Amino acid sequence: MRPRLVSDVSSVGRYLLCEVIVSDRSRLLLLDDRAIAIAVKATVARIHGDYGAALCSVGFSVKYLNAHTGIVFLRMPKRCYKLLWSALPFITSIETRGEKIQCFLNCLHVGGTIRTCQKFLIRYNTQQLHRMLPKCKNEEEKQQVSQALLNCTLVGGTDEAFEDELRSEEDEEECLPNMP
Amino acid sequence: MKPADQKDESPVYQRVVLKNASPYHYMKVCLVLENESTRLSAVELKQFIITGLKSLYGEVGAALNFDVLKYDADTLTAFLRVYSRGLVKLWSSLTLLGSYQNQACAFRVLQVSPFLLALTGNSRELQLD
Repeated sequence: MRPRLVSDVSSVGRYLLCEVIVSDRSRLLLLDDRAIAIAVKATVARIHGDYGAALCSVGFSVKYLNAHTGIVFLRMPKRCYKLLWSALPFITSIETRGEKIQCFLNCLHVGGTIRTCQKFLIRYNTQQLHRMLPKCKNEEEKQQVSQALLNCTLVGGTDEAFEDELRSEEDEEECLPNMP
Repeated sequence: MKPADQKDESPVYQRVVLKNASPYHYMKVCLVLENESTRLSAVELKQFIITGLKSLYGEVGAALNFDVLKYDADTLTAFLRVYSRGLVKLWSSLTLLGSYQNQACAFRVLQVSPFLLALTGNSRELQLD
């Protein structure tokens, strides 16, 4: 990473960790980051007009999307993140591949860097697993959940390792085949 | 002891500085249209300003509360009142409002003040006879 200069005002950002909540989980897999970006920009333009659309066009981007869990990282410039954040509750649907998916965005965490958001996500997922443990239906599921809990660490920093962790935590819920 | 009727002669100066003295800001604006014979009612004017706020600032901007206190339909001059926090939004959307029903238009902002009394006089339009 290049050293941040004093004049680099807009390179500082805020990362919003959001969860996309849909009634039908299989629809989540259709999402991609472009669809989410378009949905957010359209909503900000509707709620905050030309001023909001202009703010959105410069520093805003979707940094990460996990279609299996519905977790999305949005990056916003520091000076206007609250304005763009205020428009997120007005998102009612995301249009992708010709289909409109009814959903809403739940903001879980605001961080200054992706790493802090990652750390929060690990803790949050651990808490979710703890909550799921008493609800396990059989011994095998209990084993899987306990194993996933013990494996919860922040790995080196590559995206694949991060993806692997999230996938293993969701396995007991969805029984998805392991992807390479 | 000083006699009771002897006043203290030394002057006392007190300087009072008011910041954010008034919760409202008042604007005197005049609408100039391409076709000078067009007339608007007060309700149409308010609706027109709201559409301007909506295009620039979206739904949140259109929800900004402002009042048309007085309106002169012949000269298309109006007194607007807005909360001080909304002054920048209102003024900027008046600036960028360019067309009314397909004819070019412009809002001339004649006076702005946090006090309504200040809008009664204007040194530019002062007539000295």
